[in-house]
Amino acid sequence: MSADRLLLTLSDSSDSSDGHSRIEILNTGGYRSDGRRQYELRTISIDLSPQGSGADGSASLTHGLTQVNVCVFGPREAKMRSQTYHDRANVNIEVAIAAFSASERRKRGRGDKRILELSQTLKSTFEPVIQTSLYPRSQIDIYIQVLQQDGGLLQACVNATTLALANAGIPTYDFVCAVTGGVHSTSPLLDLTLLEENDLPNVTVAVMPRSGKITLVSMETRLHVDRFEEIFRLAGEAGKVIHREMRKAVKDRTEQLVASMQSVGRPSTGADVGDNEY
Amino acid sequence: MDEDDEDFLETGGMKLTWPGESLTSSQDYMRGHGTYVDKEEVVASVSGLVERVNKLITVRAVRTRYNPEVGDLVVGRITEVQPRRWKVDGNSRQDAVLMLSSVNLPGGVQRRKLESDELQMRTFFEEGDLLVAEVQAFFGDGTMSLHTRSLSYGKLRNGQLVTVPPILVRRLKSHFISLPCGVDLILGLNGYIWVSKHVKENEREGEEAFDAEAVYSNQNDDIDDSTRMAISRVTNLIIILASRSIPLTDTILLDAYDWSLEQEGDVKDLLHEDASDALVTTILAKG
Amino acid sequence: MRPPSPSIPEKEFLFSALKQGLRLDGREFFETRPVTLTFGPELGWVECSLGQTRVLAQVDAKMIKPPPERPFEGVISIHSEISPMASSEFELGRPSEEEVTITRMLDKVIRRSDVVDKESLCILAGQRVWHLRLNVHCLSDSGNLLDCACLAGIVALKHFRRPDVEVIGEEVTVHHPTSRAPIPLSLHHNLYCFTFAFFSDTSIHPVLDPNHLEQRLNGGLISIALNAHRELCVVQKSGGVPLEPADVLRIVNVAVQKAKDLDVIVESRLREDWEGRKVEVR
Repeated sequence: MSADRLLLTLSDSSDSSDGHSRIEILNTGGYRSDGRRQYELRTISIDLSPQGSGADGSASLTHGLTQVNVCVFGPREAKMRSQTYHDRANVNIEVAIAAFSASERRKRGRGDKRILELSQTLKSTFEPVIQTSLYPRSQIDIYIQVLQQDGGLLQACVNATTLALANAGIPTYDFVCAVTGGVHSTSPLLDLTLLEENDLPNVTVAVMPRSGKITLVSMETRLHVDRFEEIFRLAGEAGKVIHREMRKAVKDRTEQLVASMQSVGRPSTGADVGDNEY
Repeated sequence: MDEDDEDFLETGGMKLTWPGESLTSSQDYMRGHGTYVDKEEVVASVSGLVERVNKLITVRAVRTRYNPEVGDLVVGRITEVQPRRWKVDGNSRQDAVLMLSSVNLPGGVQRRKLESDELQMRTFFEEGDLLVAEVQAFFGDGTMSLHTRSLSYGKLRNGQLVTVPPILVRRLKSHFISLPCGVDLILGLNGYIWVSKHVKENEREGEEAFDAEAVYSNQNDDIDDSTRMAISRVTNLIIILASRSIPLTDTILLDAYDWSLEQEGDVKDLLHEDASDALVTTILAKG
Repeated sequence: MRPPSPSIPEKEFLFSALKQGLRLDGREFFETRPVTLTFGPELGWVECSLGQTRVLAQVDAKMIKPPPERPFEGVISIHSEISPMASSEFELGRPSEEEVTITRMLDKVIRRSDVVDKESLCILAGQRVWHLRLNVHCLSDSGNLLDCACLAGIVALKHFRRPDVEVIGEEVTVHHPTSRAPIPLSLHHNLYCFTFAFFSDTSIHPVLDPNHLEQRLNGGLISIALNAHRELCVVQKSGGVPLEPADVLRIVNVAVQKAKDLDVIVESRLREDWEGRKVEVR
């Protein structure tokens, strides 16, 4: 039994680096290589405090060891007139992956196809989610910086972007919550680390919790259709768990801001009646 | 869930919300900003406070870009000079527009616009100039149109600019504030605040014949050291208050200024953590 | 330069037709355009067309010294390009969004999913391996370049025959195709890509193999690459309008069925062509 598992971990898949460690993905006790259980998600830490760059909204998110920072600017005047739409805002997403983010230092240029694909995927994920029709001829810029990678890159980028948009006060239809799922022989796993991602077939699913609808599905490894169905459903449910964490962070931050804004008394010059509603 | 909503809405309590949260049934209430209708429910689209006015539900976002209203006072920076108009960056969703016909032209307030004015637009405002203006109207897509047709509006000099989140600047009767230390403040509702040397009342009135040289000049006056210190002190105070999300009003700023005078140390020490914390606690205690 | 969007009446015409269950070219919702495979004079040269969309793929091989970290495997490189002749939207030199999508998908389908058995490309470990180059040129864009390009790539690899090599000790002898029959590549499985377009109006069902107008007006695309044995290799729904999970699974099942059908067609065409060549050689 254990021999089969060892064979599975040694099997080659795609362009992962050499030196597969002989760590068991899932041992007989039901624990994974980092001590988690099958369906257990990694620790999420969210920081919504301003990052000092003058951004309208920012968020720093970690899933275990994967860390991503996002800054949102906008809606603001578009830099290039040719990119504007007359009836809605243009959403522009740029991703930068730090050279020190992976275990081997690797500098990736702007034109790197994987990064371009990631930016495109994120853009088409968020364009229908943001209410762009409220801001004609404007531009919303989203800058993503990947600081540390330990699996679940797309997942982290999607979640961090959602938080930054909520932080910036840009109206969206709902949160977008993403999670990765994989399967090890017949056992499904959630929220995979890099080690697990390189060895197992895995899929990233992003869900909008209110309606339960799926906005993003990304799978690049071979998986039988029946297995896929199982993982797909599971990941959709797990998205709702992540939603709870994200909602809590946003709520706490909002509470904090509202408290400080309302903590001081009304000004002496009155005329606050005309306080507008945004 | 609906019953809770009803209760809250009756008592008028404070309710926080976030994107995707159902607020109430759309049969009974109309939706306002910050919400949208999905099936039969009103759903929030931003994170912030729920506000109800009679049958209208809106969500006020806790952080957002400046939303202009007609009559607002704003401070802006010229970004572009175009035929017969200037584009002004006002910390809003789009650059505002200042028409040539909306500025005071030298030689008298009622002078007709000449062709030579169009060719000499840069003698009035150039790219990078700061100005204070009022929102006159809106264009179809929501762009603001500004005007500087009062003598108290126009080009800004003798001071420095501080940027704060626009929500912290509340609507006041007058946005021109004079602090007793010889510092003038212009609180732009778009979050741009101009801290400058005090200009005496009578100088600001201006003469009959509108002196273009003075109003559109780029020359700063001589400012003495104590005034400069005062300007720096006020700027630092504003930065601290803004970083703690405390709204900016004249009373708060005056209190803060008095408190800071009592402190030892230089103006720059104000920006240290402990000094900032102490300031904030004092302000909150008074408020 | 962004191409001008279709006019509002055109959009309405398409949407109302789709709502009534009709596609503008008369196809069923889950029907692809007729697949035509034309093989060239050389082996490994194929032009694939889906209706008016045409893509040309060509494979050639040469021997190289393998990289030191992988001495037992061959190397596959893919070069794909959309030439401006495909459509006035494309510029030479600047990869458009579609080009990035196609390049990435070809990469995933052909390289990352181990279609070709790389170890079989090894001639002399550590010194000589085959370097396969796949060139994909998109000639005409009438919607769904992605599926067409992937199909052309896979068929070209299946069609290609590499020269026979004899290894005696450290000596490598390459036999000319006229002296010894060239050998087909060893492929693990055949992957086919299916793209479905769906629209902002969720009452409209997704359509398979969108044509040009349907692709311009889509509210989202979902691409599935899989083989005929019910194994999925790539599932990519990059944003767009959110779908119910059940809809996604339904689309996957349609793709499974289509893969089987397409496999039959491809195999029969390849067989036909190979029979034809045998006759000529004699």
